[in-house]
Amino acid sequence: MHHRGRLTGSGAAAARAVAASVAALLPALAMASVDGAPAAAVPDAPEVVIKTILAMLLLVGLAYLGGHPRVQAWEEKLRVSQVITAGFPFVLLGLVARHPAVGVVTAPVLAQMGTLLGFALGWIGLVAGFRFDARLFGGLPPGVARIVALATSIPFACVVGLTGFALLSISGGLGEAAARAPALVRDALILGTAGAMTAKTSARLLGTAGSASVLSRVARIEELAGVLGLAAVAAYFRPHADVGWQLPGTAWLLVTVGLGATLGLLAYAMLSTARSRPEFVVLTLGTVSFGAGAASYLHLSPIVVTFIAGALLANFPGTHRARLGAALHRLERPVYLLSLFAIGAVWDVADWRGWVLIPIFTAARFIGKRLGANAAAGGHGVLLGPREREALAVAPMGPLAIAIVVNAQLLYPDRSISPVASAIIGGAILTEVAVQLVTHGKLSTLERRAGALRGEPAATVDRSREATG
Amino acid sequence: MNVVLLVVLGGLMHATRSFSPSGPPGSGGTLLAFGYVLATAFFAGGLFRQLRLPRLTGYIAAGIVAGPMGLGLLSRPMVASLDVVNGIAVAMIALTAGSELELRAMRPLLRSIRWITLVGVVGTAVLLSAAVWLLRPVLPFMAELGTLQAIAVAVVLGVVMVAQSPAVVVALRDELRADGAVTRTVLGVVVLADLLVIVLFAVTSTVAKALFGAGADAAQTAATLAWEILGSLGAGALVGTVLAIYLRKVAGGASLFLFLTTVVIAEIGQRLHFDPLLVALAAGVLVRNATHVAEALHRELQPSSLPVSIVFFAVAGASLHLDALATAWLPASVIVLVRGGGLLAGSRVGARLAGAQPEVARYAGFGLLPQAGLALALSMLFAKTFPEFGAAASALTLGVVALNELIAPALYRSALVRCGEAGRADAETDTAAASALEVVRH
Repeated sequence: MHHRGRLTGSGAAAARAVAASVAALLPALAMASVDGAPAAAVPDAPEVVIKTILAMLLLVGLAYLGGHPRVQAWEEKLRVSQVITAGFPFVLLGLVARHPAVGVVTAPVLAQMGTLLGFALGWIGLVAGFRFDARLFGGLPPGVARIVALATSIPFACVVGLTGFALLSISGGLGEAAARAPALVRDALILGTAGAMTAKTSARLLGTAGSASVLSRVARIEELAGVLGLAAVAAYFRPHADVGWQLPGTAWLLVTVGLGATLGLLAYAMLSTARSRPEFVVLTLGTVSFGAGAASYLHLSPIVVTFIAGALLANFPGTHRARLGAALHRLERPVYLLSLFAIGAVWDVADWRGWVLIPIFTAARFIGKRLGANAAAGGHGVLLGPREREALAVAPMGPLAIAIVVNAQLLYPDRSISPVASAIIGGAILTEVAVQLVTHGKLSTLERRAGALRGEPAATVDRSREATG
Repeated sequence: MNVVLLVVLGGLMHATRSFSPSGPPGSGGTLLAFGYVLATAFFAGGLFRQLRLPRLTGYIAAGIVAGPMGLGLLSRPMVASLDVVNGIAVAMIALTAGSELELRAMRPLLRSIRWITLVGVVGTAVLLSAAVWLLRPVLPFMAELGTLQAIAVAVVLGVVMVAQSPAVVVALRDELRADGAVTRTVLGVVVLADLLVIVLFAVTSTVAKALFGAGADAAQTAATLAWEILGSLGAGALVGTVLAIYLRKVAGGASLFLFLTTVVIAEIGQRLHFDPLLVALAAGVLVRNATHVAEALHRELQPSSLPVSIVFFAVAGASLHLDALATAWLPASVIVLVRGGGLLAGSRVGARLAGAQPEVARYAGFGLLPQAGLALALSMLFAKTFPEFGAAASALTLGVVALNELIAPALYRSALVRCGEAGRADAETDTAAASALEVVRH
């Protein structure tokens, strides 16, 4: 027991060290990306460079504060999710920074921000994969697989169908040729994949009920579907298909899996050699950067590659797990906020197609989620009661959905992806607002009841909620 | 294990790069290079340590092997995109060094530092200038210069090539946990010499430019120098004050704050024509000698200093122009020998004149041999200042830096081990802890 305590302490210290250095190195990466821009494209005027650097540093500081436990505690207290408290403001910051009057994120800077984005996506992928511990599946009642399949596939199909139709209409033709246009199919699939994702915070609706834990795990398993969707899109809809190796889509899918698995094994071997905190920092940074960099270089998804590596690392034995898990978790939110800033900076708000897609995407997702929850409620195995169905149906979109669109933006930097980004960002905010409005009162009532029934003080309920979330 | 991991990393990098070997680096290229350099240099450092060589030589070697002059796993644009780490690393190293410069403890060494700088460094600069003058027949770029012009260029080159590397000195001291008279004297000398070389370069290059007919404004040069040196010291005092207040009043997120401060020093300081090394050094010295938060500063810098140092030295290795050696190997080798002999003999004479300990006289010179950032920067500046023959001359200076960068760290490491100062910092920490424990017990 004593030993366990010491290990936890050492893990926390390592986590702090990794978090501090990674947070610290983010501006360096950002700066590297800016400095790496072609000389002619970057405005050299010292005042412009100084302004950009100061803005980037301020941004990193804000992201760090946004991920601070106190901010998270306020969110818990106010019962709102990070999309509202920190996420949306960061998207706005990105928009403001891009504005010509502010002039912080200019076009060349924006073009080179891919380095920072790639790292952020790699980190998010590793975090998501690292949660894929085999224990996640342990003790799950039979029938959960069916719930996941239905609760994911039906919203996916709904969003793909309805937004696909909308995209087709927007693009100006309902003909067969237009319907088979690769970009259109790709955009519909990206929207469907993001729309199928559920935030793990949806389990909060169930308070301390035993099914909250199941729902929380369902949301995590859904992340796997999201990652698979992204892997398929990146493999079958290759950007710059004329550059580099000429392989069929399935081969690219295998390359993705192979790269992720190799990175996982390599990271395991590397992290096993770390003897001190600074060494652990170096190797964690090296793993994420190398994995995300290799994926970006091959025009694959950094999220998918590092997700696979993270899943392997989570399931291999060793002392690295506690240290790595704590470090990944600690920086997850700041990294996510930085990627939101980037997506805000590239968000083309002037593109009317995006605004048209937002309500369609949101409605399609709500319909799909409701149908999926109803379909999952019937049949054999786990029986979903009205509360569970409600929680599944009104679930907000998780951070992975946003990460998926950031990744899509990185993979397909042309303007064609712009409406998709608008739809997912706008849809995420709209969904979150709707969920807050619909469930705010219900959440309080349910939690009060749950606490009263079990005779637990409110603080205990809060702790249980954290555990399930 | 280190070798296996190096091979696997190299194989993966080669496979990935084969996707688009000549393509532009792009965002993926920078990130890929960063991750690869970090991991590879780390394991190369481990391998070198097993061979009883400095880790940082391993970092540099990893950069050379993987870089454009080696296996080509890192392209030139990739290496260039990582250059941003240089300024941050220099600022971080200087901040660490400054925070350990306790003026009270250094006071007994000041005489030695002064004499070694004067005789060792300035004397070697004169020797190097004479060597360049004498080597004129094998230096094609000197052939068409008049006598006065050739003397002026020789003097400027002498100053460029005498430059030392505080970064290497601090990194080796940290790696070996070294402490003692030799370590402290060397640190003092390289810091002072850094200042001196900057001033001497500004003065000699201004005079040389005037001899070439270019308009040289002495007042302007003096003003620029004053701004660079006094401005840097002033900025350093300001940064040190801010750091001290933050560490005392806020403390939370200190690692991030410190890192962001080094970024500001490196990136913004450079744009304001400050010397990042001086700014960070002044800040560190102020924190150490005027506040009680020096230990906190040192502790909070640690997590990010290792990755930054690794990338810094690996990029320095990958940026080495080994091709310059192909054309200038003979004069470069002669210059390296003259420089080495001058610094070793000069520091010995200087230490004796100052009445320093025998260890200082015998071993301090080895700490003056390594070269890295400043010498490279001055080489580039020389090429820019004298565009007519700067590129040809930089083959010589870059060749000298390349040789010193490869050989000198191992020599200084060996000197620290032989003089018995390696590991002494750990021993002193243990003794201090034991004394503190004893005080608590009583």
